[in-house]
Amino acid sequence: MARYGTHHIDQRASGDDSVVARAIDLVKTYGVGDAQVKALDHLSVDFARGEMTAIMGPSGSGKSTLMHCMAGLDKPTSGRVEVEGLEVSSMNQRQLTRFRREQIGFIFQSFNLVPTLSAEENILLPLQIAKKPIDRAWFDRVVDVVRLGERLSHRPSQLSGGQQQRVACARAIMARPSVIFADEPTGNLDSRTSREVLGFLKHSVSEYGQTIVMVTHDPRAASYADRVLVLADGAITRDLHHPTYQEILQVFAADDEDDMGDDANAAVPAESGDGAAA
Amino acid sequence: MIRVGLRDARAHFSRFLLSIVAIALGVSFVVGSFCFREMLNNQVDEMMATNADHDVYVRGTEKQQDGDQDSSDSGSSSGTTAYNDIDTSLVSVIGKVKGVDSVSTDISISGRLTLVGKDGNAVSGGMSGSTTGVDGKAWRSARLDEGRWPKNRHEVALHSFAVEQSGLHVGDTTKLVYPSGPEDVKVVGVFSTESSQAGALLIGLPGSVVKDLCEQSSGQSGRTQTINVYGSANGGSPLDADQQRELADRIDKALPASAKAHAITGDQMRDESSKSNKEMLGFIQPLILIFAVIALFVGSFIIANTFSMIVRESMRGYALLRSIGASGGQVFLTVIIQALLLGLAGSVAGIALGWGMVKAIATLLARIGMPLTGSVAPTPNDMLVGLLVGVAVAVIGAALPARRAAMAPPIQAMNETVNPEPSVVPRAVAGTVVTLIGAASWVLCWRIGASGSGDPTPFAPVNALAKMLGTGWTLGIGAACVVIGVIMIGPALVNAASVLLGWLPSLLFPVAGRLAMRNLSRQKRRTSNTAAALFVGVAIVSCLGVVASSVNASVAGLIDNELRTDYIVYSNNGRIPDKAVAGITSIKDVKSVSVSRMMPSVKFDGKSAMAFAEQPTVFSDVMDPTSTQGDADKALRAGELVVGEKLMEDRGWKLGDKVTITGKRVVVDKDATAKAQADYQAKVQSNAQALQAEAQALLAQGDVAGAKAKGDEAQKVVDDARNVDPSTLITTREEPTKAVKRIGAVISNSIYRTMVLMNDEQAEKLTNKEAMFTIMLFVTARKGSDVDGLRAKILKQTKPYYVLSVKNHDEYKSTVSSLVDQMLIVLYALLALSIVIAIFGIVNTLSLSVSERTREIGLLRAIGTSKATIRGMLAIEAALISVLGTVLGLVTGTAAGVVIQQTYRSSGMEHLAIPWGQLGVFLLLSIGIGVLASLPPARRALKAPVLDAVASE
Repeated sequence: MARYGTHHIDQRASGDDSVVARAIDLVKTYGVGDAQVKALDHLSVDFARGEMTAIMGPSGSGKSTLMHCMAGLDKPTSGRVEVEGLEVSSMNQRQLTRFRREQIGFIFQSFNLVPTLSAEENILLPLQIAKKPIDRAWFDRVVDVVRLGERLSHRPSQLSGGQQQRVACARAIMARPSVIFADEPTGNLDSRTSREVLGFLKHSVSEYGQTIVMVTHDPRAASYADRVLVLADGAITRDLHHPTYQEILQVFAADDEDDMGDDANAAVPAESGDGAAA
Repeated sequence: MIRVGLRDARAHFSRFLLSIVAIALGVSFVVGSFCFREMLNNQVDEMMATNADHDVYVRGTEKQQDGDQDSSDSGSSSGTTAYNDIDTSLVSVIGKVKGVDSVSTDISISGRLTLVGKDGNAVSGGMSGSTTGVDGKAWRSARLDEGRWPKNRHEVALHSFAVEQSGLHVGDTTKLVYPSGPEDVKVVGVFSTESSQAGALLIGLPGSVVKDLCEQSSGQSGRTQTINVYGSANGGSPLDADQQRELADRIDKALPASAKAHAITGDQMRDESSKSNKEMLGFIQPLILIFAVIALFVGSFIIANTFSMIVRESMRGYALLRSIGASGGQVFLTVIIQALLLGLAGSVAGIALGWGMVKAIATLLARIGMPLTGSVAPTPNDMLVGLLVGVAVAVIGAALPARRAAMAPPIQAMNETVNPEPSVVPRAVAGTVVTLIGAASWVLCWRIGASGSGDPTPFAPVNALAKMLGTGWTLGIGAACVVIGVIMIGPALVNAASVLLGWLPSLLFPVAGRLAMRNLSRQKRRTSNTAAALFVGVAIVSCLGVVASSVNASVAGLIDNELRTDYIVYSNNGRIPDKAVAGITSIKDVKSVSVSRMMPSVKFDGKSAMAFAEQPTVFSDVMDPTSTQGDADKALRAGELVVGEKLMEDRGWKLGDKVTITGKRVVVDKDATAKAQADYQAKVQSNAQALQAEAQALLAQGDVAGAKAKGDEAQKVVDDARNVDPSTLITTREEPTKAVKRIGAVISNSIYRTMVLMNDEQAEKLTNKEAMFTIMLFVTARKGSDVDGLRAKILKQTKPYYVLSVKNHDEYKSTVSSLVDQMLIVLYALLALSIVIAIFGIVNTLSLSVSERTREIGLLRAIGTSKATIRGMLAIEAALISVLGTVLGLVTGTAAGVVIQQTYRSSGMEHLAIPWGQLGVFLLLSIGIGVLASLPPARRALKAPVLDAVASE
């Protein structure tokens, strides 16, 4: 565990521009006294520009907390979060709002869209909130890639789950944020539509150099990533670069053998997620 | 299960606060309206028992069709049905009936006197402002507290309230302004009555003075409306019902058939009078109840919203209850029991609030000079009604959400997406139909008003209907249908309204504006119901606003366009003393003084009409005659009649028609006077002779001293007779007068629409000069003189009379409009209340909507929407709701106002004036209301951390 940490701190020390976001010695605890739970336990990690990183781990491993802290949705108890050289962890609410508006894109598992707005309006919403000019060419390209051309005037309730998620992807990438955080983006989708969404995300990384951090249970989804971080008890246990689906499955199988009881849970949801997707 | 409900109720208490307040407000209006009505009724009853306390009344037997002859000025009763006048000579007939203690005719006269207070200013009788002269001595309910009753017209006794208002005490000397002018009077006594007089100022005067005043004001002597009788059976105390009956029967038997008079019991008289008085005051309660209905409507709506929120949040809990074996009915019960508790709490608070409000109003009235002694406590019945209403509204409001809770399947998968709303089209269609019916009723009303006596429409059945309903009903039905119809159409209007009204905000605030606009259309019914609360209140107020400003504009237009004189002089007690007229006429700078004198009891072709005696200057100096036919000026000078257009139409007269005018003149009956004097002389003579004879007899018996005494007595009788004022022996006689006159011109000036004008010469042939009273003077300044300076000169002349007001055009206009404005204040108070209620409604709807949209707002926040934008979105939503309600209210209310103005165009509302400024203020106010109402829900929406909102469950 410490090995990975040290490795990344070294990388940061080199100070190159390839790092978009980094967490330094993050601690997040909930509750007090006996009821205290450590969600993040002195965790440090760098996220490289133009990479898609998947964060995996069982429920309660701290993967969602890590993402929320990185995205400025949650405040760490101690430690620092930096995105594009900005110290997120010390920002106030107003700065955080501005930061999310300008640097971050989100894709949630469900309820991604404003139901009263059409697909097109949803996609353009972040730009309008930030009062940024709309790059029509970029919009057309994004819409073309997510294949929503004919459905732009539809309301979310008139779209299928996959379509809705593709709109959410388009919205996230529209403002070309520094990082897109995706929280279980395929959690509610069947395997075919999952592939479409993941394909689009991967495409935006390879074609447009977008940085994406994705939290997922699904090894199949994780296999689209350039790098897979595995969390347990608030710390990073594995850091895999360009792993295959098989490699990821093996990691979980190995974890099962290593620490029997605890991580047995990890594999189950992963597998069941996969099963559900299939 | 009941325990679960109780526990839930406790847990949700803070959520219920708003609902409790709404219920309390609604119930307080209901209870308050009952209390208020009862207070007024009590007051009326109490005043009747005190002010009309005779045991038997004798009045005419024939109902008069047109009882417009100031019946309230003569006699102590003020029933609305007038009967034929009866002869005062009946007094002596009735006086002889066994069991009669005393008989009186006119014992009070109101509106003809003004008392000058200690500070030298006229005392206004509090809010009702009337001063009444009473014959306190002949009034059983008046109790003399101090001093004595007055003996002549230079002495007065004051009622305790008058003492309070004037600061005068026994022994003080002040002035009392009689119709003929002010006179010095001494306060010789103070009296009080059982019930308060609702602000009327009572002045005790000798009976003969009151009688004279009554005769002057009615312009006829020897006739009266009622004769009042006290019975002697209980030695000065009121008779009971049987005794009254008995006495009335006895009096009835004594009355000659030719007198056309009939005796009724005091109870019957009081019942009739209180009934008509109560009917007159009856309009107040429905007006209050309208606002009660609004409050309860919003209340039930707030409750429905609150329970929807609670039920939605507790769905899992209900599912759990169901899965462990609770029946749907039991789940239903847990919700309804909370509603019951809520309704109970709200009702109890409401009853207390309503009671308190009426008490506060009574205190306020007492402070502004209208003390009421009627009880304000609600009866158990009122409380029960309030309680039932409150609880029923709460239960109705909670019923639908409770049903949803009961239908929760044992395993409930919560679904965030809101079920699509049922179509709003059928309701809109029904609403349109209802609105059209209302509009049709309005058109009919307008036609009835506009057509006058002619047929309102070319269709016979419709005309029959119109005749049956009249303008009042058609107006009312129309208004009710339009209001209900618009409320029904409401949801269908939301889409269009949000696009139209939302256009500007979405231009100014692209994100917040558009989101707000779209959010409105999500729950169209909810949006439109919320707006409805404001709609009804604004509609009522803007309708009355249009009517009020039309009245003002019509009066102002009248004064501006038609009146030419520089000053108008009028009297606060309705009559300008002749000396004052002479004084003003004598001012050097005055070119002419036009005197408008009203002619009482003159009939035209057998029916009475308002008639004025005018000078020829009226059409040259005072106003332009807008003659539609003939030359008014010439006609007046030629001694012909000038008749108002409306009256012509009503009577079916034509220019050149001959009209028979009948009147009464009081003349000295020479024969009767001579006879009376001769009789008196004869009586004195025979008395003296009898005494002389006795003296002679005594002298014959040798009783010199006795004979001397008798002789002196006889001498005294003769002397006394010599000292008797011969005028007391003058017998007057009413002489009917009759004249046939040609209608020489028809004028359409709005003041004179319903009147007949003739010149002084003709008028004096028809009625006594003394009987006509001057109600107004129009003073025209000499050309080139100092018009402003003239005012001081006129004021110098009017000052000694205390009651005369001198106004120029602008001042005269503002006296009229300030009257109208005072009435509007009451309406604004009601508007304020309906606004408060509407704010509750908007707050509640928005809170519900925010709680339903927690995740959506979280999403917006996550992708970088600032708090200000969220606040703005909710503020725009709320403002759009309130503007929608206000705009609908303004349109409907203004339309109703226009209909009223058009309908009553011929009765003084010539000009339509829409108070645009005022309506604009309402609109701006509504935006403010919306923004204000959005604050609590916005705080709630932003309180939840973004993370909680977006984190998947």
